[in-house]
Amino acid sequence: MTDRRAPSRWGDWVFAGLVAAGGAVLLVLVIAILIVLARQSVQSFNTFGVGFLWGTQWDATRNIYGVAPFVAGTVVTSGIALCLGVPLALGAAIFLTTQAPLWLRGPIGTIIELLAAIPSVVYGFWGLYVLGPYMRTTIEPGLQQYLGWTGAFSGAPTGSDLLTSGVILAVMVIPTICAISRETLAAVPSSQREAALSLGATNWETTRLALVPYARSGILAGVVLGLGRALGETMAVTMTIGNSDRLPTSVLSQGQSIASLIANELLNSNGPLQYSAIFEAGLILLLISLLVNVAARLTLWKLLGPGGRAAP
Amino acid sequence: MSGQATEPIPTTEQLPTEITRRKRSRAGLYTAVAVIVIAAVALGAAWGAGWLKPASTAASNCAGPGAGPSVVATPAVTATANRLSPSTTTPTILGAGSSLVYPLMYQWESVYSAATVNYLSVGSSAGITDITQKSVDFGASDAPLNGAQRGAAPGVLTIPESAGAVVPIYNLPGVGVLKFNGTVLAEIYLGKLTNWNNTPLQTLNPAASLPNACIQVVHRSDGSGTTFIWTSYLSLENKTWSTQVGKGTTVNWPVGTGQAKNAGVAGYVGKTPDSIGYVDLNYALNTGGVTMGAVKNPAGNYISATVANSASALTDANPTLPSGGGDWYNVSLLNAPGANDYPITSLTYMFVYQNLSKAYPSYTLTNAEALVAFLNWTVTTGQSYSALLYYVPLPAYIVTADQTTIASMTFNGSPVP
Repeated sequence: MTDRRAPSRWGDWVFAGLVAAGGAVLLVLVIAILIVLARQSVQSFNTFGVGFLWGTQWDATRNIYGVAPFVAGTVVTSGIALCLGVPLALGAAIFLTTQAPLWLRGPIGTIIELLAAIPSVVYGFWGLYVLGPYMRTTIEPGLQQYLGWTGAFSGAPTGSDLLTSGVILAVMVIPTICAISRETLAAVPSSQREAALSLGATNWETTRLALVPYARSGILAGVVLGLGRALGETMAVTMTIGNSDRLPTSVLSQGQSIASLIANELLNSNGPLQYSAIFEAGLILLLISLLVNVAARLTLWKLLGPGGRAAP
Repeated sequence: MSGQATEPIPTTEQLPTEITRRKRSRAGLYTAVAVIVIAAVALGAAWGAGWLKPASTAASNCAGPGAGPSVVATPAVTATANRLSPSTTTPTILGAGSSLVYPLMYQWESVYSAATVNYLSVGSSAGITDITQKSVDFGASDAPLNGAQRGAAPGVLTIPESAGAVVPIYNLPGVGVLKFNGTVLAEIYLGKLTNWNNTPLQTLNPAASLPNACIQVVHRSDGSGTTFIWTSYLSLENKTWSTQVGKGTTVNWPVGTGQAKNAGVAGYVGKTPDSIGYVDLNYALNTGGVTMGAVKNPAGNYISATVANSASALTDANPTLPSGGGDWYNVSLLNAPGANDYPITSLTYMFVYQNLSKAYPSYTLTNAEALVAFLNWTVTTGQSYSALLYYVPLPAYIVTADQTTIASMTFNGSPVP
C-alpha cells in the first residue's frame, strides 16, 4: 500500500504496437489491392478512356470493350434483391422483436441466420435447377400477362435472367439485413415502447413511431451490408444470370454482373487488352461498392446530424 | 409522439466517438502515427519486392479447380524445379492448357512410362500464357495461336495432337433426330429463327412435329476451343455471322444463355425443354436428356457425328498444312468433301519451342530428349487411346507433318535424337 510508483507502462506499449500492426496490415492490403487493380487497368484505360464506362459493346473478336452491360446487370440484380429482400427481412425482424411469442423467437431467428451459412454455390445450384425452371414456366409468363404493359418484362421467358438472379440474391441478403435489424430493434430501450404504448399508440403506431426511427441507423447499416453482398456475389449469379455480354433490355434479358464477368472471362482472356479491361471492370465494381458505402454514411449523417445527433 | 424519436439519444454508432473524444491522449496519437508509419514501410517493402508490379502472369499462377491430383499449385516453380534436377532417372515434363483435352492427357500421363508427365488443366488461354512465359514445357489449346499470340512467343512450334467433333444438341421431348444445315444453325444463333416450328427447320424435317415454342439458345460463358470450332463453322456457312459476330474462343453472342464448360452446356440443355446448345461429341453421347442433331455436309448428306465419320472427315479434308513454325490460325478441317464425313471437326494443338536450349537455359540434353520422345509418342502410339475417350485419332498426313515438326527441334544447335 505504500508503493506509490506509477505502474510500468511497457505492457501498454506492446499492446499498442500489436494492435497498430493489425491496423496497418489491413490498410496495406486495401491500398495494395487498389494499386494492383489500377496498374492492371492502365492499358484498357489508355485505349478506351472514360468511354469504357458507357461503352455497350464487349466483343473479344474485335477487341472492343465497354463495361455498361455489366454495370447495368450488377445494379439491376442488386436493386431487385433489395426491393424484394428489404421488406421481407425488416418484416421478419419486427415480427421477431415485437410480435412473436418468446418461445418462437429463438428458433425462427436461428433458422433465418442459417440461410447465411448456406454456401453461394448451393444457392446457385438451387437457382439453376429449381427456381429457374419455375420462373420460366410459371412466374415469368404470369408477369408478362399482368405486368407486360410496363415493358420491363419483354422477351422470351428463360429462367436464366436478371430477374432470377435478383430473386436468388434477395434470399441471400435477407439473413444479413434481418439479423442486424433484429439486433438494433431489440436494443431499443423498453422505455421507448412503453412511452408510446402509454400514450395510447397501437402496436403498428409504436413500431412505426418509436421502434423503427430509433433503430434506423442500424437498419440502414444492415441494408448496406446486404447490398455489399449482392453487388459482389459471383457464383450464384453466374449460374443464374444467363451470362450474356449484351446490354439488357428488360429484367427477363440474359445479362452479366461485373463479378460474373470476371469469373467467366479472366482465366480465358484472349489477350492483354481483354485482361486489362476485366481488371478495370473489377476496379469499377470496387468503386461502386465504395460509392454505396459513402452514400450510406452521408444518409446517416443527414438522419442523425453531423455531430451524431438526431436532426430536428 | 414523433418527439420521442428525435430526442438526442446515444446510439451504438456514436458511442466509440464519444469514448475516443473523452479519452483522447498522446498514446492515441502515437498509435495513429505508428499505424501510418508501419503501413508506409510495408507498402514500400512490397513495392521494392516487386509485388505491386503488373502481373501479366496472374493467369498462369492459377492451377484451376479442375487440376488433377498429381498437380502442384504453381506451374512456374514446378517447371523450374523439374528442369534443375536432371539427375533423376525419369525426367519430368510439365504441360498446361486446354481442359477439353485433359481426359486424354490424363490417360497419357498414366500410361506413358519413359518420363513423368504432369498436365495442368488450366484452360486454353492460360496454357498459351504459360508457354509464352516458358513456365511449362508444352502448352495446349483448342484454338491455334493468333497473330498477336505468335508474335509474343517467337520460335514456338504448333503440333496438332488430337481432334474432336462439335455437335448440336437439343431437348425436345418426343422429337427424334432433327436435320440441320449451317444456315439454319447460324440463324438460330443469330436470333433470326426464334421458334422451333419455323419454316426453314420444318422444311428440312417435314415429318417431325416441331413444337410452337421459343428456341432457348445456349452457348459457352467461358473462353473455349469448342466455341472457336462452332463459331468457325457458323462463319464459314453464313455471311451475316462472319461479319456480325465472327469466330473466336469468346464472341459477342447475339442471343442466348451462357453456361460454363461443356458439362454446363450439356447439363443445362438436358434440363431445359426447347433448348439448343453445342458440345464436344463425348458430352453429347454421355449426357441424359439431350438429342444430337444431324448436320448437312457438303456432299448433301445429313450426318450424325461418330468417331469414325469424324476421322474420315479429317482424312478427306486434307488442307494445305503450314510448317510447324507457321501460321495455323486459318487451318480449317470443316466441311470435308466425303459422302459420309461429319462437317464440324477440328484439331487441338500443343505448343513447344523449337530451340530448347535457347528457350530453357536450365535444360539438359536429357530434358530435351525426354520432351521430344514424349511428343513423338503422343502423335503415334498415343493416338490409340483417342477413340475410347471419343477423341478423333489423327489422320496419317497430320502425323507425318507432326513428326517433321518434332524432328526440327534442336538443343545446342543440333537436332535432338
